[in-house]
Amino acid sequence: MYLPIIKNWNNNVSRCSPDGSESLSQRILITNHYSLITTHQQLSLSSSRFITTALCLLLLVLALALADLSFGSVSLWSLESGDEMFPTILYDIRLPKTLTCIVAGSGLSMCGLLLQSLFRNPLAGPYVLGVSSGASLFVALATMVLTSINISGVFFAGKAIIALYSIAGAFFVTIIILAISRKAKSNVTILLVGLMLSQVLGAAQGLIEYLSSADKLKTFVLWSMGNVSSTTLSDLAIIGPLCALILLTAFFLVKPMNAILLNEQYAQNLGINVQGLRIKIIVITSLLVGIITAFCGPIAFVGISVPIASRLFFKTSHHLHQMTFCVLLGASVLLGADLICQIISTQFTLPVNTVTTLIGSPVVIYLLFKSKLSIG
Amino acid sequence: MIALRNLQIGYRQRKETISVFSGLSAEFRVGELVGLMGNNGVGKSTLLKTVTGTLPALSGEVLLNGKNITAYAASELAQQLSIVVTERIGGFNLTARDVVASGRIPYINVFGKLSAEDEAIVLQSLEQMGIASLKDKFVDELSDGQRQKVMIAKSLAQQTPVIVLDEPTAFLDYNSRHQLFSILKTLCEEQQKLILVSSHDLDLMKPYISRSLTMEEGNVMRLE
Repeated sequence: MYLPIIKNWNNNVSRCSPDGSESLSQRILITNHYSLITTHQQLSLSSSRFITTALCLLLLVLALALADLSFGSVSLWSLESGDEMFPTILYDIRLPKTLTCIVAGSGLSMCGLLLQSLFRNPLAGPYVLGVSSGASLFVALATMVLTSINISGVFFAGKAIIALYSIAGAFFVTIIILAISRKAKSNVTILLVGLMLSQVLGAAQGLIEYLSSADKLKTFVLWSMGNVSSTTLSDLAIIGPLCALILLTAFFLVKPMNAILLNEQYAQNLGINVQGLRIKIIVITSLLVGIITAFCGPIAFVGISVPIASRLFFKTSHHLHQMTFCVLLGASVLLGADLICQIISTQFTLPVNTVTTLIGSPVVIYLLFKSKLSIG
Repeated sequence: MIALRNLQIGYRQRKETISVFSGLSAEFRVGELVGLMGNNGVGKSTLLKTVTGTLPALSGEVLLNGKNITAYAASELAQQLSIVVTERIGGFNLTARDVVASGRIPYINVFGKLSAEDEAIVLQSLEQMGIASLKDKFVDELSDGQRQKVMIAKSLAQQTPVIVLDEPTAFLDYNSRHQLFSILKTLCEEQQKLILVSSHDLDLMKPYISRSLTMEEGNVMRLE
């Protein structure tokens, strides 16, 4: 199986050193038998470790999903099998919420990973770069200024319009960030511009909030706190497969993403169309952030912290691995946060944003200090 | 292998063009270690960017194997010419092996899976640079000299006949500089590569290079 390679190397050596002195290539030949053996072992080890880790994370997601379905103000296990409440609680309340957590958690984490690798900076994320704020501002415009779209309405049509505005907002900001990134001297400049942009958009949104009427304001503020429980199963029938499809598309970027991690010059030299990759990443993140923000509100923290945590936990730079881990870890984090929300307060629903940030941030800070290495 | 034909290099900014250097003509063959010399700011990096096809020429042409460099598809060029640039890389869990393995990107499928043969080439490249023991180290833990060797190993894994290095000795100490140039010389001789390397340190390069291209202010070019 390895014969062709060894033959190649032999040619290499015979061509290289006619005078018989020991050459670089000869040194290689001496060690080549060892390297072939170790290479093969490591290859199978690392891919089997990847599969094991991915399966463990998948089990974690399933376990958390099951717990999220079961516990809350009423435990599903305490109901009798013929109870009328059972289908209502499961299909109208718990299942949509659990699925939303999975979709939003995995989607936002993927966006964070893509942006962090593109900018080669762990500070990048949809929230920090202002992408979420853009989506949020456009939703504010749609709901409080332009028309009276009811966000919490049960009809998909209303939400679809919100989603379009939200995607447009996300797209708008990502385009600005990318235009700047072509002029900017360093990635720090881009992040600073993102932060500034996020402030400007926030201020504009504040202005709209100030000028709008009390009940419109209340629905908007509730939405902006991040809420995973306003989606219905019929919404999910559309956004679930849509987000899954976009996530799968991202997996086709594994090779260029691995190249861009070196830097843009090297990526280009390795035959990667860097500009094309940038555009693909904008489209993917705008769509995912737009859709998720429309249905759940701007969810902070998950997008930036899950990829950081994933890189600290799993010491690999390969994007096939990191994308898989991020998607699964992101779903777990949001499921976990929602589970905590349900267990702590049975009287009222805590906004999931509060929980992810309150519990998640200290965890990431701890991980950053525990790790000796800089991740970016 | 590489030919410059009455090349004018520089930048286009909106409507105006800024010419950095003009009237460059030269021809380089495999097995040559070409030193590109000149003071800072004379246009060495601009020339290298033009030669690698990153920057379009203002006029004239760069020919690689008789074909204009801009006529190559990116994936095709990736198998002909590799680069080592001045910007330091690292972080994001990148190990020395990962960086060298990225040299196989032009040859592998979309999911980035290396075949056993690719893995063997990666290891071979690491061993050729004498850094096989560092393969599992994170790149940001390495010294500048080690990091530069990793980048050259990446170029070797890319298996291109031409390697272009922009100021590879910039961050290195005295010994590492000499070690780096003797490695480049050996590669040229043993593997029949064409290596273009820029440096402003004339005395350092002289004993190693087989030819030199010196750029001086006022579009003066000397080929030795």
